[in-house]
Formats: sequence, C-alpha cells, structure tokens
Amino acid sequence: MSLYVLEGLRPWVIQRVSAVYIVLFCLYTFFSLLSAGQFSYESWKDWLYHPFNTTVTGVFIIALLFHAWIGMRDIVLDYVKNIMLRIFILAMLMGVLIGSALWAFRILLLSVVS
Amino acid sequence: MNSRPVYLNLLKIRLPITGIVSIAHRISGVLLFLAIPFAVYLLDLSIESEQSFARLIELLQQPSLVVLQMILLWSLVHHLIAGIRFLLIDAEVGIELAGARSGAWLVFITEALVILLVSGWLFI
Repeated sequence: MSLYVLEGLRPWVIQRVSAVYIVLFCLYTFFSLLSAGQFSYESWKDWLYHPFNTTVTGVFIIALLFHAWIGMRDIVLDYVKNIMLRIFILAMLMGVLIGSALWAFRILLLSVVS
Repeated sequence: MNSRPVYLNLLKIRLPITGIVSIAHRISGVLLFLAIPFAVYLLDLSIESEQSFARLIELLQQPSLVVLQMILLWSLVHHLIAGIRFLLIDAEVGIELAGARSGAWLVFITEALVILLVSGWLFI
C-alpha cells in the first residue's frame, strides 16, 4: 500500500465531488433557514430533526471529512519535507477530523433516537 | 548541491491577482479546518437544550467573538466562491490569461457583495 493513502487522480476527483456537494448543501441550508422565518430553538430543532435535513447533514459531514482531509494533506505534503514530522502532523489532522466527525454524528443520531 | 542564491522576500514578491485568489483560497481553507471542532461544539450547544441555545446566542453576540465570526465568514465566502472558480477552470472555463484575470476580480467583487449582504442580514 502507498505511504500516502489516496494518492493521484482519486483524491482529485473526491475533492471536487465533495466540493460540489458542500456548495449545494450550504446554499440549501442558508435559504431553507432564511425562509423558515424567525430563528428560535424550536424552529432550529424542527429543522435539524426533519429526516431529510438530518440525512443531508449526515452526508455533508462525510463530504467535509474527505474534503478537509485531502486539502490539509496537500498543504502538509507541499510544505513539510521531514518524513517523521509529516506523518506526525497528518496523524494529528486525521485525529481532529475523525473526532469532530464522530462528535457531529453523535449529535445528529441523538436527535433521531430522542 | 544546488548553490543558487534563494531570494524570498515575501514583501517584495508581487503576486498577480490570480495568485492572490489562490493563496487566499489555501489560507481560508486552513482557517475553516481549524474552525471545525469549534463549529461542532456550537452545534452541540445549539441543539442540547433551550438553555444551551440561549447561551449560544449570547456567546455569538460577544464583541470579541464578532471579529472571529467576520474572519470565518470571509473564509467561508472566499473559499466557496474561489472554489467555484477553480471548478470552472477545471471545466476549461476562463483558462486563458485575460479570462483568468477577470475571473479573479469577479471572485473578489462577488465576495464583497455576499459578505455585505450576509453580515447585514446577521447583524442588523
């Protein structure tokens, strides 16, 4: 297996596909919340707990996880030449991203359970 | 060993407008990455209870955090709009020099308009 997981054309494609999804999600969320009118705890909760919104937000978390990983990985590969430092930083980035994604999923799924 | 002198005075480098869009896309990307854990924390506050929601609204109105919000708003808007431009360039739209230049200017103009609109909607 290659030292740098996701090397070559595939990350390039993932980066762009996830980018398109993130743009569409941002536009949808922005205008959907805007048209909901008065922003309150109840209206926000109703919005996020709606099955459709929970689903597209879940997909958004996955898209952002990949998008942020590939972007930060490219930057590290550009500027950090020392191999051990590289691996260390990449591992830290991966930890932050996976931790954040799991936390966000927990918030989303609790909304489904309760 | 390569012994050519390296001259990298960042203040003397005049980046073309297309280069500025590009490096700003990278910087805004890093800022957005750093914001991810905090954004999840805010999401948690927003949905946990009525009290935590009220605390979040209070938190977001603190003057010191408004500056941070503006920086992140810029990061998001620039990253989105410059990103759309890069996608168009992948599709071979605006790849010749003149088109690339006007595209870069268009990014900054659109960005300024969107930031004005959104901040007006957020803070007024």
